[in-house]
Amino acid sequence: MTGRASKTIRVDTLARVEGEGSLFIKIEGEHVADVKLKIYEPPRMFEAFLRGRHFSEVSDITARICGICPIAYQMSAVHALESAMDIHIDPAVRLLRRLFYCGEWIESHALHIYMLHAPDFLGYEDVIGLARDHREVVEKALRLKKIGNRIVQVMGGREIHPISATVGGFYKVPAKQQLREMLPDLEWALQTSLEAVQWTSTLEFPKFEQDYEFVALRHPGEYPFNEGRLVSNRGLDIDAAEYEDNFSEVHVKHSNALHSVRRGGGSYLVGPLARFNLNFDKLPSVAQEAATKVGLQPPVKNPFRSIIVRAVELVFACAEALRIIQAYEPPSAPRVETPNRAGAGQAITEAPRGILYHRYAIDANGLVLTAKIVPPTSQNQRRIEDDLREYASHLVAWPVNEATWKCEQAIRNYDPCISCATHFLKVTIEK
Amino acid sequence: MKIIGCGARNRGDDQAGLIVAERMRELGFEAEAYTGDPLRLLDSWSADDDVILVDAVQTGAPAGTIHIWDGDIPRSAESAVSSHGFDISKALELARALHRLPASLRVYGIEGLNFSQTQGLSPEVLGAIDTAIRQFGHLSSHSVE
Repeated sequence: MTGRASKTIRVDTLARVEGEGSLFIKIEGEHVADVKLKIYEPPRMFEAFLRGRHFSEVSDITARICGICPIAYQMSAVHALESAMDIHIDPAVRLLRRLFYCGEWIESHALHIYMLHAPDFLGYEDVIGLARDHREVVEKALRLKKIGNRIVQVMGGREIHPISATVGGFYKVPAKQQLREMLPDLEWALQTSLEAVQWTSTLEFPKFEQDYEFVALRHPGEYPFNEGRLVSNRGLDIDAAEYEDNFSEVHVKHSNALHSVRRGGGSYLVGPLARFNLNFDKLPSVAQEAATKVGLQPPVKNPFRSIIVRAVELVFACAEALRIIQAYEPPSAPRVETPNRAGAGQAITEAPRGILYHRYAIDANGLVLTAKIVPPTSQNQRRIEDDLREYASHLVAWPVNEATWKCEQAIRNYDPCISCATHFLKVTIEK
Repeated sequence: MKIIGCGARNRGDDQAGLIVAERMRELGFEAEAYTGDPLRLLDSWSADDDVILVDAVQTGAPAGTIHIWDGDIPRSAESAVSSHGFDISKALELARALHRLPASLRVYGIEGLNFSQTQGLSPEVLGAIDTAIRQFGHLSSHSVE
């Protein structure tokens, strides 16, 4: 054995991410010997306890998976169940679902851009330090988040774990005036989002690019929320029904969250970078121009620049919400009838952090036979480790505490939602 | 005086603050129960308010102990059970950094024992809820005088 210096980067509790996880990196000499993003949050077992439930309960139960992105869970659930039972929704309801998703993107992206991610670039331990020196920045973030929350409340009945979405539509839809009252706030939010694109573009980014396989939905007419084919920059172009033929989940010892990988391949990236790179042409002109103005063009391969991309998506979500509200005519009925019917169906929607896959099989009484849920953080987890392996190799000469800080930042590029990811643990007993 | 109770329903002793707020409201006091995003707290008071915030805590003290932070903010050990790292303590720190604390803030922490979804309220916490309500009633009558 040679006497090569080794060091360990260890973060026992990751900060500014949702859920409980830790990081372990072992560096031997110039070589990164081991990387483990350990997710020790307990498994949640949602797929198991959905079995035997009536399909009408599924969207309320899956909303409980996450306090930050409950709409994503509701949307993937209702679309998968509608696919299983061949239910077609009113076009006006379809638009309301997009508006609902706008609310979630606005509150989630505002939280991450200003309060979780920006402190990394500006040298603050957290948003409290940022608030002391840049009060106006944090006040903007809080107001933006509140506007997103308001959309969720109006559409979903309440801000956290909303209750109005259901298979076939909504239990209740808003009156025209209720939505129009949000217009002044959304006009402000759009302007503030445009400033956010400009502001985030002035941050200093590490020189770090990777050759990712970006995976996102793509719809022929719009930036994706609820519908589209699943595509990648390496030729993937599939329907949601083919998802499991192309992706698989594997269990690794160090994580309670399954790692999702491409069958016959490795990691891939979902989320804002993937959506932006694969759907730039579908962004409204106001968002395209904002990106172009700061020199942001696809393909963006530096994950640290995801903060600018999130700001561009914030512009999109505000502009889309304004467009939908300005044209809103309430549907003739809030939902279509959904009699019990046996079937199986899948759906993928775009949570703020990336694609969220749901699959259900239903019996003739409308009871769930099987459920499968693949959250975005499960899909990004292998990719985060790959990023860390490469990024840590650039940091071998750095003091451990600084390298540790940088690696934490690299994880936050993905805005991981660890609580969502710990959904099922496959146990193998060896005898 | 405004009472704000925080916590999570169906989480054993974590609902202590919510129950205090609901019972104070039934008694005719200005009181609100908050679940979910702690950042919403910043909009729950105005600069002139005299606020009592009640939440369940775990410090290692005997269950049912009532801790009081008067003009100070309790520090959380870590942000494991919270939304993207924001718990009540962090939300209050943020309010202070933004100069958005109310004129008077007293935090009452009721020491909990069980925080699991399958548990109801501990007898010790039920007793502490009664004690806190009596104290708030007393505080209010003094402030009226």
